[in-house]
Amino acid sequence: MKTLLLGIFLLGSLLAQEVVELKLPNTNKVTIKLMFKNGSICDPAGKEGLTYLTSALITQGGTGSLSYADIQNKIYPWAAGYGSSVDKEVSIFTFEVHQDFLNDFYPILKGLILHPSFAQNDFDRVKRNQQNYVDQVIRASSDEEYSKKALEDFLFRGTKYQHMVQGKSESVKAITLDDVKEQFKNFFTKNNLMIGIAGNYPKEFLSTLEKDMQELPDAKPLIPATIKSEMPKGINVEIIQKDNAFGSAIFAGFPMNLTRRDDDFAALMVANSYLGEHRKSYGKLYQKLRETRSMNYGDYSYIEWYDNGGRNMLQPAGTPRNTNYFSFWIRPVQIAKQLKNQYKELEDIKIGHAHYAIRLAVREIDNLVKHGMTKKDFEATRTFLQSYINLYIQTPSSRLGYLMDSKFYGKKDYVNEMQKQLAKLTLANVNKAIKKYWQSENMCITIVTDKSEAEPLAASLKENLPSPMSYSNIVKAGLPKDVLVEDDAVAAFKLNVAKVKIINSADTFK
Amino acid sequence: MRTLFSFALPIFFFSAIGFSSTAATKPFPYPIEQHKMANGLNVVTVKFDSPGIASFFLVVRVGSRNEVEDGVTGFAHFFEHMMFRGTEKYNKDQYNDALKAIGASANANTSLDRTIYHMTGNAKKLEKMFELESDRFQNLHYPIHDFKTEAGAVKGEYTKNIASPFAQLEENIANTAFDSHTYKHTTMGFLKDIIDMPNQYEYSLKFFDRFYRPEYTTLLVVGDVTPDQVNKLAEKYFGKWQHGNYEAAIPVEPEQKQIRYTHLQEGSIPPYISLNYKGPGFDAKGMESPALDILNTILFSQNSQLYKKLVLDEQKVRSINGGLYDTRDPNLISIDASIVKKSDMQYVKDEVVKAIDAVKENGVDEKMLAETKSRLKYSFAMGIDSPSSIANILSNIIQLSGDPEAINTIYENYEKVTVEDIKAAAKKYFTPERLTVGTISADAEGGVK
Repeated sequence: MKTLLLGIFLLGSLLAQEVVELKLPNTNKVTIKLMFKNGSICDPAGKEGLTYLTSALITQGGTGSLSYADIQNKIYPWAAGYGSSVDKEVSIFTFEVHQDFLNDFYPILKGLILHPSFAQNDFDRVKRNQQNYVDQVIRASSDEEYSKKALEDFLFRGTKYQHMVQGKSESVKAITLDDVKEQFKNFFTKNNLMIGIAGNYPKEFLSTLEKDMQELPDAKPLIPATIKSEMPKGINVEIIQKDNAFGSAIFAGFPMNLTRRDDDFAALMVANSYLGEHRKSYGKLYQKLRETRSMNYGDYSYIEWYDNGGRNMLQPAGTPRNTNYFSFWIRPVQIAKQLKNQYKELEDIKIGHAHYAIRLAVREIDNLVKHGMTKKDFEATRTFLQSYINLYIQTPSSRLGYLMDSKFYGKKDYVNEMQKQLAKLTLANVNKAIKKYWQSENMCITIVTDKSEAEPLAASLKENLPSPMSYSNIVKAGLPKDVLVEDDAVAAFKLNVAKVKIINSADTFK
Repeated sequence: MRTLFSFALPIFFFSAIGFSSTAATKPFPYPIEQHKMANGLNVVTVKFDSPGIASFFLVVRVGSRNEVEDGVTGFAHFFEHMMFRGTEKYNKDQYNDALKAIGASANANTSLDRTIYHMTGNAKKLEKMFELESDRFQNLHYPIHDFKTEAGAVKGEYTKNIASPFAQLEENIANTAFDSHTYKHTTMGFLKDIIDMPNQYEYSLKFFDRFYRPEYTTLLVVGDVTPDQVNKLAEKYFGKWQHGNYEAAIPVEPEQKQIRYTHLQEGSIPPYISLNYKGPGFDAKGMESPALDILNTILFSQNSQLYKKLVLDEQKVRSINGGLYDTRDPNLISIDASIVKKSDMQYVKDEVVKAIDAVKENGVDEKMLAETKSRLKYSFAMGIDSPSSIANILSNIIQLSGDPEAINTIYENYEKVTVEDIKAAAKKYFTPERLTVGTISADAEGGVK
């Protein structure tokens, strides 16, 4: 961590690749990240998931001279590690090794990236797991992650952003080993590579790495142009029904023409933190849904992709995107079947809490658009962020990752620049940005829920029926009057619903 | 909510530069400064080179292990939620505002043996962190309505967790493997108790009075701070905290006499098998836990013979891993495998048992033992790269032993583990009588013997 004082070098390399260098003389570890600007948008039609499979096969396969098992044998005593991650527009390989073994480890890194073995048995194994993810894991292991991925599928339907990076059931089946080799040749090239390195490494090491990476394929990758998604007309809901769901998991959002490149990003970051800072109790959504009304585990909002929000407490690096959207996340709320079982006084209810929760969230956004933030809330939120964003870059790996993402967005050091932007921000900037980028009339909403809940919930949403909050008596008895008054307003809040559709879990991601 | 030390735990490391020679001779490379206050609160400071950043942790040695009374499973975790509901000085809204002003990453989590409250943020705001934390630890005060309301958030947490079949299996395994000990329920607690939580206000007052006491707590600060600064603030803000006198009588688990089974009929995920042997409780000085940690790494890492056979060559298994739950009282050694075809479940179980039996008979290869020690050592060395990672590592040790210096003993012991230690531990703990088999498949029964 001394590191943070030691300076950052964004080198204009003599070679073709972009290089981000972070010298950290006091650390024992060397972190190398190779970012290819490709991502799942480069998957051919009918072969969705190919970029992911190519990356996974590189890190879970062998090199020209070593099998995967040989590599595991070699790196075992060093505790060296490596892996790949793929997002919509980038694939990143991350290697971490103790400096004692940097030179021993390097031939493995080089072999994996330049001469991946692409062996048939490795391909079969890696593809089988990917197939299982798209067929089963995403639908069965976490309803909230499911609703989040389903929202992207809904928002970006018909574009290269639609499919999960892991692909779809039919498309993964269609991928062959030859497809992988072809994808590697065309999209993992020296012409779309950014090299990042952090730690205590000799200067010559980086020179060698840069020189060797020149041996990557020399194709000019055909990266699709920035995806433009249409603003949905009205509020469109897809309810995904499955057997034995315990609650209703909700994600909602709309496209937004704003990224870290833009000056307004800092302003909207303040507004978003106020509305729904990730995993914090300060956001309005959290306070109203969870804290005041006892409805679920948490409620948050986002102005860019946030990877694995169920696990990550701080925004991870590595998912820079040119196409963006606003979203809010309502963690699973109760369904009627469970509430009826749990509380006698609720035995007559028709639906659980999803309709009410959506109304409350949309109404909060609507209020913010109409009235903006107050000076006091603006100052408090800005002060919070000025300290908080420094925590994004606590480790060498996250620091390096953020610098590489910065470069993707044409910036030098996003966190540093954000500090400056926050310092000069005014309340007027924030309220103007809210009006410019947010609205409450048009959006897509996905709800993963139990079969018993789907039909009545769909009817309630379609017809804009009143959705009074169904409290247990024990909670209701102590609620302050202002909460009950607000409940009445929320229950009757008109949502601009255009379409509601129920989908079987097996029919999603087609 | 469980910690598998075999993979997560740090190991010692000498190559960091810039530390005192005294520190460098110990496995953990940074000096651990401890100050025991008169009321029993232990204050631990680790100075770490992280300009402007510090992690402030309060480790309370209370978790679901302490839930000995009927009807209140999950209460330690619920109580963690209540700790964010304000005091007389700061009601919950004022507390939120004050916390927000610090700009820290602050949260809490509960496990079997402990509850941790943590903040990582601006070291210049250390005194404010002390003020806020000392206030709620001594003067927690929440309205009864807030208590009832917060129970809904816990039910919401249960609702999102239980969507996973693996969470359901974990709940079933604990319930099947244990008869008397409180490890029988997960930290979340039984659903019936979660639903009843709003009715337990009076019990919550008792719970706070019993456990939120200096003798249960360690205050740990890591980062851009000095021990002197931390100790002075601790005396200022926690000096008047009163020592308590409660100790829960944790039931002793009777010896398991025969193999047990639990099965979850669920066809939405691949077949899954979990083999759970009753293992030892944590003992910083003993050789059994380190021997088992090393053995589990040898048997189930991606470099293991079993992984090569089942995952890489035969491709009958998607993934396999194994490890010992490190807890204060004896808990399970779990080996889990996701399987391609359910017809192979028995085969996979037999192969795992065969690999364990080979160790009982022949021990492990000396070279592999040395390489595993090296792996653990370097894994640790690379893992301590921020105040929060160090604070998390030390919190684990504190929860287990109460003494952060035990980290040194543990890692010294890893270096001392012999082939005979491993054989002895394998023979003692990996026996059919100690086993609970958990399975998931589309069938009505597990079908694994």
